[in-house]
Amino acid sequence: MAIRLNLYHEVMKVEALKRRDPLKISMYGLSAVVMGLAGYYLWQVMVGSGLKRELAGKVVEFQEVERKAKLAKAREEELEEVAKVGVYLVKKAEGRFYWGPVLEQIAGVVPAEVQLTRLVGGVSGEGVKRCVLTIDGVSVGAEPRRVAENLRKALAEKLGVEYGGVTAKFRSLEDMAEGLAKGGKGISGATFAIQAEFRMGEEVVVETGRRKR
Amino acid sequence: MKLGREEVQKIVLGGLIIFGVIFSYFNLLLGPLARGKKATRERITALAGEIEAGKAQLMKTEAAERLAPEQAEVRRAMVSGIPEGSPVAWFPPRMGWFFKERGMEKVSTRMTSEVVEKEVRGFRQVVWTLDFPKVGFFQFAGAIADLENAEPLLEVTQIQIDAGREEPEVQKAVLTVSHYVNL
Repeated sequence: MAIRLNLYHEVMKVEALKRRDPLKISMYGLSAVVMGLAGYYLWQVMVGSGLKRELAGKVVEFQEVERKAKLAKAREEELEEVAKVGVYLVKKAEGRFYWGPVLEQIAGVVPAEVQLTRLVGGVSGEGVKRCVLTIDGVSVGAEPRRVAENLRKALAEKLGVEYGGVTAKFRSLEDMAEGLAKGGKGISGATFAIQAEFRMGEEVVVETGRRKR
Repeated sequence: MKLGREEVQKIVLGGLIIFGVIFSYFNLLLGPLARGKKATRERITALAGEIEAGKAQLMKTEAAERLAPEQAEVRRAMVSGIPEGSPVAWFPPRMGWFFKERGMEKVSTRMTSEVVEKEVRGFRQVVWTLDFPKVGFFQFAGAIADLENAEPLLEVTQIQIDAGREEPEVQKAVLTVSHYVNL
């Protein structure tokens, strides 16, 4: 077997040491880490840019929507005002106190023995209408006071059919000092004043079905 | 393997440099970037909410627009009987004609007061007093019923009927009415 001598071993050792140089290897490793970090940073920058583009798009959309929403809000208030006025006037018209039926009812309960000399009525209140009626008159007959009392009762009963809280009271009821004559015969009479109070309706509430934001 | 002093110094220096680089990377590069992204996301979320609110307003107005013709018609129907111009110019003649048609002459109408309504912009309530020198009870009652039916914006607030001493079948009457008119 031939003996083989490596006279070049020192050079080879130096070359091997160079190949396995820890500084070089660590530099490679460090470079890889730096590249990774740089790549991650670039990725994050791209994500940030994407978000900024999205934000810019949203800002443009918001400006457009905001402009339209402002106009829409003004238009809605305008429409609401029109609706409110209409609803309010309709409620007012529907909640009115009607005197026609009241006068008809009064005419229906006054007997032939009574003559009304004065009728004063007033209505007040919003929604719930309170009416006060004062009826002055003269009743005649054998029992003029009873005739007046019957009128008071009939008035309360008649008004009570249609209205609430009806009261009818005498403010005065007095025999007449002067005698009356009917068909040549003397008859007695009494003067009276009846005050009737009653109410009608409900509170007016304006509701258009919309709420303000 | 024994490290020389110079090598130890290099290692320490290298360690410090690496620490500085990593610290700078996270605090000076990634930190502001992350904060910026967080702020941008928050702004996007806030804007999305406002955009939704704006779109909701648009839909609400569209719904109101759909109801508008009907509501405008109600309003128009209610105010159609109010002529243009000062009420003093048209209301007294209107009442005169109305009651003349029902057999009551010489009705005098005068304005008593007026109130601007706060609830309904553009309208005011005018109070009038109407004097009837000569009326019959049933004729007058019928005319009031007609008036209430013909004028939806008018309400009789006070009524007074006095029987005449000489002619008991003929009465004098006074009406107080309130009426909505345009401002």
